[in-house]
Amino acid sequence: MSSNLDSLHALRPTLGLAFREMRRARLRFGLLAGALGLLAFLVLFQQTLLTSLLGYFTGALESQSAEVLVYGEEARTSVEASVVLPDTVEEVAGVEGVGASAPLGENTFTAQVGGSLEDVVVFGYELGGPGAPTTLVEGRLPERDGEGVASDLDVDLGLDIGDVVALGPDEDVPIEIVGLAADLRFSVEPTVFTSFATFAAGREAVNPDAPFVPASLVAVAPADGVDPAELADRINAEVDGVEALTRADAVAQAPGVAETSQSFSIVFLLAYVVVAIVTGFFFLILTIQKQQAFTLLRAIGADGGVLAGAVMVQALVVTLVGILLGAGATALVAVLVDDDFAQVPDPRTVLTTGTVIIVLAALAALPSLRRVRRLEPADAAQPSAGLT
Amino acid sequence: MRLALRELRRRPGRFAVAGGAMAFLTVLLLFLGGLLDGLYLGSTGLIRSQAAELLTFSDDARLSLLRSRIDPPVRDEVEAVDGVESVRGLGVALVAASVPGENDLADVSLVGYEGGVEGVPDPPEADFVGYADRRLEAFGVEEGDRLGLGPDGIEVEVVGWVEDTSFLLQGGLWVTPATWREVLGSARPDAVLADGTFQALAVTVAPGADPAAVASAIDEATGSTETVTRDEAVLALPGVKEQSSTLSAIINTTFLVVGIVVALFFALVTLERSALYAVLKAIGASSRQLLVGVVVQAVVVAGAALAVGGLLTFLLSLVVPPGVPVQFEGGRALQVVVGVLVASVLGSAVSLRRVIKVDPADAIS
Repeated sequence: MSSNLDSLHALRPTLGLAFREMRRARLRFGLLAGALGLLAFLVLFQQTLLTSLLGYFTGALESQSAEVLVYGEEARTSVEASVVLPDTVEEVAGVEGVGASAPLGENTFTAQVGGSLEDVVVFGYELGGPGAPTTLVEGRLPERDGEGVASDLDVDLGLDIGDVVALGPDEDVPIEIVGLAADLRFSVEPTVFTSFATFAAGREAVNPDAPFVPASLVAVAPADGVDPAELADRINAEVDGVEALTRADAVAQAPGVAETSQSFSIVFLLAYVVVAIVTGFFFLILTIQKQQAFTLLRAIGADGGVLAGAVMVQALVVTLVGILLGAGATALVAVLVDDDFAQVPDPRTVLTTGTVIIVLAALAALPSLRRVRRLEPADAAQPSAGLT
Repeated sequence: MRLALRELRRRPGRFAVAGGAMAFLTVLLLFLGGLLDGLYLGSTGLIRSQAAELLTFSDDARLSLLRSRIDPPVRDEVEAVDGVESVRGLGVALVAASVPGENDLADVSLVGYEGGVEGVPDPPEADFVGYADRRLEAFGVEEGDRLGLGPDGIEVEVVGWVEDTSFLLQGGLWVTPATWREVLGSARPDAVLADGTFQALAVTVAPGADPAAVASAIDEATGSTETVTRDEAVLALPGVKEQSSTLSAIINTTFLVVGIVVALFFALVTLERSALYAVLKAIGASSRQLLVGVVVQAVVVAGAALAVGGLLTFLLSLVVPPGVPVQFEGGRALQVVVGVLVASVLGSAVSLRRVIKVDPADAIS
């Protein structure tokens, strides 16, 4: 306790100097905080965008009960491109370690929703079997054909409990929404889970020329004690023309997910480099400007560590203010912009991004600290002290 | 101005950090622009390459090519509308293709067409041959290759190349309607279309006719179609509008950051030079001359940053993973150059007030 108080006492000159200067030069430090705030906004906005985008791309895969998903091999892990013929569905069911399996259909329909036509992704699964939504937040799962669960994000669109979404050119395949589930969107579209029979009826209504409606995937629940990854490997080894993936792999390998993540990673990297450069050069210039004053302070006995500490404290405070400004701006955009993607930033994202920015700012301030520590008090006696 | 340039020559290190930050911001701008162009061009080539002014979809498809179907009787009705010069059927199937000698499958947009496409020859005379988009070269496709399409591996021979005809980021392969219909039925049994049925119609308007009026007349005549201009069809593609608006917003914010970095830097430099400016004013320099010097320095630093940023972007383009849909276009680069220069001039002009406020009398105080 006593040593903590001693430490705090020792920090007083550092903190006092740092905060007093910031109070007196509000514009200067405000400008930097504003610039960092804008950069933090840039990173946080894109982080939020990426999180939302990836969730909207693959939420339906992540939030369904099948631990293993089996694709047609030609689909290259694209649900939309995948077709699994009935014989193959049977073959998958016969693989050792499969507890339950059933066809899972997926298609984007033009559907009558809330009085207008909308694009709606429909997943069809065998009721009671694998492939059911797992993130129900309201209502219940479908118990018969013609019932469905919708994404809770699309209530305003006309997909609330009790609403009816109608498929087919003559709206002859109605689905009554009986439940809402979280994180259920797919391909960034409103999504409904219904029975496979209802899904197939929708497909037949859209294309009467279709000879039959195949499954898009096979949804598989492993038998008790069977590891999903091992089961996926076994299915791949024993069944020709399919690619079985665990649920997590299906999400990670969905088309566009890796590319989107890579693209944003490059953007983040560049933005972080700019954060470090802006912070670094600001404090370097500031230190050079104050070199004369620092030299004089050293000459009258100020400790080099205190002066360097003040610079570091200023760097951290300004960065922290910048992060808060950036987070505020991102939240403000989310409130003001009526857009699916503009969501309030997740506190964890703010914390992670903020930590990275603070560490970068601290590292970027190190050259300034080094310069302060290396000041020679005797230079104060020179006529051009500090004017380098 | 000469003084400003001499300072830049003698003490380039002073401007290096600001230049470095701007160089990285230039890379960020070029990369974001490349991403925007790559996503847009890679998704829309099929539609943009249509010579016809109008595209007709079934009205329940919400302008989705993959969900639309136009049966022969509807086509006859479209052809009979006043102001319609010609009608060509169009269809697409998104399939995977095996490439001879390659382990990975290629993502292909198989397009069945009846001609009227800019940069693409008339349909091949034979079935099961096609013109491939250059995008497919990344998958190892070569002229003369026989690609195996869909789960049944239906073979189509590549007999020539076309450019900028991709659809939803999959390289176009242009074939006869019969070939397209067969592959579609094999890959998507539930999406098979009967002979004569297409997904959409490309409608060429007669000379002198108003495309908007013809589009309305078509929809009125059929009662089951939605006819739009080529540009409207492009914007209706999934994600195109959203991607453009989101990435454009990020790019504009980055331009703002460039301006602020420059403003910040020159505000500090001006602060530092206050005494020097007082001396210069005392010996007759005007505020305008001093400010021009600041702006010139900002423009030169921005020019150097653009050059370094351009070089870094080129190096980055060599190591970007092939899956990242980035495409660098001259027009976008020009936009970045102009934007960075304008942001630099505006940013440096923030020091205007401080330069004007410098009092020559301070030179002797």
